[in-house]
Amino acid sequence: MSLLSALSVSASGMAAQRTRAEVLVENIANSETTRTAQGGPYRRKDAIFSSQSVPSAFQSELDSELSGLQGVSVTGISVDSREPERRYMPGHPDADPDGYVSMPRMNPAEDMVDLMGASRSYEANVSAISAVKDMIQRSIDLLR
Amino acid sequence: MIDGLTNSLEHYMDLLTARQKLVASNIANADTPGYRTKDVNFQAELQTANSALSPHTVEVGGLPVKNDGNDVSLDREARLLAENAMRFNLASNLIRSQLATIKEAIQEGKSS
Repeated sequence: MSLLSALSVSASGMAAQRTRAEVLVENIANSETTRTAQGGPYRRKDAIFSSQSVPSAFQSELDSELSGLQGVSVTGISVDSREPERRYMPGHPDADPDGYVSMPRMNPAEDMVDLMGASRSYEANVSAISAVKDMIQRSIDLLR
Repeated sequence: MIDGLTNSLEHYMDLLTARQKLVASNIANADTPGYRTKDVNFQAELQTANSALSPHTVEVGGLPVKNDGNDVSLDREARLLAENAMRFNLASNLIRSQLATIKEAIQEGKSS
């Protein structure tokens, strides 16, 4: 039984939270974007997490170990399907004949709070790695 | 291994390792929809005679479930993380003192 697989689990958590933070930062940066490659205004994105067993170089050894040890991975990016917000800006080059511009439906507070959550979860994973690392070091110290 | 006490300590450290791994897994999945907190039944596993078997994983009940079906409590996991590390530290110190005693017996008679 090895503690090293716990390190991969925490690492998968860190990677997932970092992806989530990247997507949220993209949302904040594009909160006023009216032109995208797909046409229309930018649409809010969010990462979808799902738990799955961690990949490891010693998979066969892991198979005999306790069940329930699951890492996390980003299985997809969801795109907001809500109608864009219509804002009256007659001078805007993307305005429709009525003078309304389709702007991304975005709540900056929502993204900032999610970003804080991602950052805190990342820190929690770092603490877990540090605690596990300490335990491994204790085991190695028995040899001294 | 060396004697009964060291064997028990080894079993104890194995269990702590298993538990710590599940805690790391719970923390990693703190934002996964539908994930349920997992743990081992520590007291029951500790009294199991056969320490070679890997411990059973159980789902922890009674935790408040969030809107997305996830019931990981970061406070609980942080507490267990620290507690496991301390218990492991204690057990490894105990084993180390056992080893020191044996080493002393081996070296008895030498003038080192």
